[in-house]
Amino acid sequence: METPLDLRRWQEKPAGVAYRRWVIVSTGLRQLMRMRFFQILLFLAWTAGVLMAAVGFVFTQSLTSGGWLESFAIHIGPRAQAVVSAFCALVLLYPDICIGGLFTGVFWLHSFLALGFSLIALSVVVPRLITRDRASNALTIYLSRPLTSFDYLLGKLGIILGILVLMWTGPLLLGWLLSMAFAPDTDFFVYSFLPLTHALLFNLIALVTLAAVAMGVSSLGKTARAVVPIWIAVWIGAGVIASLPTTPDAVRATSFSRNLEEVRQDIFRVDEILIKAGETLPLVDRSLTNNMLSVGQRESKRSATGAYIGLAAIVVVSSLVFSRKLRPE
Amino acid sequence: MRDVIIEAKGLGKTYGSQRALADVNIAVPPGTIGLLGPNGAGKTTFIKCLLNLEIPTTGNATVLGCEIRAQNRASRERVGYSPEQDCHIPGMAGCEYVTYCGQLSGMSFQRARQRAHEILDLVGMGQERYRSVDTYSTGMKQRVKLAQALVHDPELVILDEPTNGLDAAGRESILQLIGSLWKQLGVSVMISSHLLHDVERICDRVIIIADGRVIEHDSMEALKNRHRRIVELAPSSEAERFTIVLKNAGLPVERLSNGRLRVETPSESAEPILSLMRQHNLPPAEIVANPNALHELFLKSLAASKTPQNGNAA
Repeated sequence: METPLDLRRWQEKPAGVAYRRWVIVSTGLRQLMRMRFFQILLFLAWTAGVLMAAVGFVFTQSLTSGGWLESFAIHIGPRAQAVVSAFCALVLLYPDICIGGLFTGVFWLHSFLALGFSLIALSVVVPRLITRDRASNALTIYLSRPLTSFDYLLGKLGIILGILVLMWTGPLLLGWLLSMAFAPDTDFFVYSFLPLTHALLFNLIALVTLAAVAMGVSSLGKTARAVVPIWIAVWIGAGVIASLPTTPDAVRATSFSRNLEEVRQDIFRVDEILIKAGETLPLVDRSLTNNMLSVGQRESKRSATGAYIGLAAIVVVSSLVFSRKLRPE
Repeated sequence: MRDVIIEAKGLGKTYGSQRALADVNIAVPPGTIGLLGPNGAGKTTFIKCLLNLEIPTTGNATVLGCEIRAQNRASRERVGYSPEQDCHIPGMAGCEYVTYCGQLSGMSFQRARQRAHEILDLVGMGQERYRSVDTYSTGMKQRVKLAQALVHDPELVILDEPTNGLDAAGRESILQLIGSLWKQLGVSVMISSHLLHDVERICDRVIIIADGRVIEHDSMEALKNRHRRIVELAPSSEAERFTIVLKNAGLPVERLSNGRLRVETPSESAEPILSLMRQHNLPPAEIVANPNALHELFLKSLAASKTPQNGNAA
């Protein structure tokens, strides 16, 4: 009783473990890309990046001597021309405040949007990460191959990182690069670089936190019905409780969304920009100057140490949760 | 060609106070090996320990010359595994899933896809390979599980109940395929099954596990020879006269419900019975030597394993 086996043999040396981990990441991302909802989210995320580039482009092209705003002002009249010249002079005299301040504001706003998009995307991804593999016993398939649970874990982490890079880091870098591509001088590059590093630092912190929390929540259940409510509770429920004025600081620190918000304020230091602008820029309107100073001083009183400790604790607890669940059942 | 594909030394596994595997010492040569044992005997635990899906509590093992603990990934590079329970990666079409499994074993996408289609043809999957695995019937899932175990051209394939859920025709074709793997490609197969008849048909070696211990390990031929010689006779006529002649010759005879006669003979061959038939001018009869030998041996081994003096086979 034999079946003729007309097969081509495969006797090559298998590719290394890095390739096999990459296969997990790329296949996971490809599966997500097929989803309409995910495609819409990606479109919105990259649109935000393009808008950021547009703001940067308009700024760099307008507020420079000889820029199109100055040319346009000539047609309107000497008063408009004088106002535009004053603005251009401010950029030349205080590039750290004008260029750095504008890009800090743009990146600060973008980080808010990108964090939102990433959290929404993770609501779709969380039930598909470890949850679905546990339900379908796919872990046995992975771990009976030349892979360890650590490789599997890295692959799944790679999927989350891939999503966050696509939703956040990619549009951020695109926006900045396009802004810089048409900038008339190097000042724009030099003074926007620090805000960019702040944006990337916050991106990195959010990336680590969200990856750990998403993996932890995903490993808690075997069905989407069990896991999605947990994710919503951890994200929105804990966030709402933390935002109540009567909530103790220790409880507040258990909300990763609240902690990330505080860390965001701490990293971008919008308060410093406002105080510096209020103190330095020769603005005509004193009430505007006072407003900037008061908002800046109010923001600068906040301490984010608790938020950093809270995030570190959340990452550790989440890592313990998912690492305990990574055995085939 | 290796002399030994699996070698276990003092392999043991306990879950709390529950002992699943106890001090297993075994050296398995290449071929088609049947792994038999009652429910809860430790077959799956033994397989899972070999694949590092369970960490052994004691001892060690080598698979294809690689130590399972020290060379964790390498020990599974040329091993395929089809588990008993439903295992698939959701949201993937059959061919995509098998290709992905090939890539996870280190194949390039092109080679994995090529092999995936060849293997899916071989296991009898048609156009349904382009459908999501989630929609497959039990039989299709069984076939795709076998395909993923074979896609990376392993040197050893471990199959846990590979014919569960298959219809008669499907079971036959899959058994033929499994039977051909060693003979045509030199791929060793370890098949864990409750279906003794399937194991008897395709395996050349048998391991019997009971209560976490290996109680028998030998070639099928040697095991059958150790078994008491049973011959089944299907006389074309005069069954009564057959019975009388055999009983008069001192041979224990049992009349079966299907009309056949079950005879215990002192010899390994059917020659004494044939000579009796010639002497008494009996009509021709179909003679089947050692029917259900494995079944009887299995039950005998299980009964023997309950006595405390039994140890491990090597």
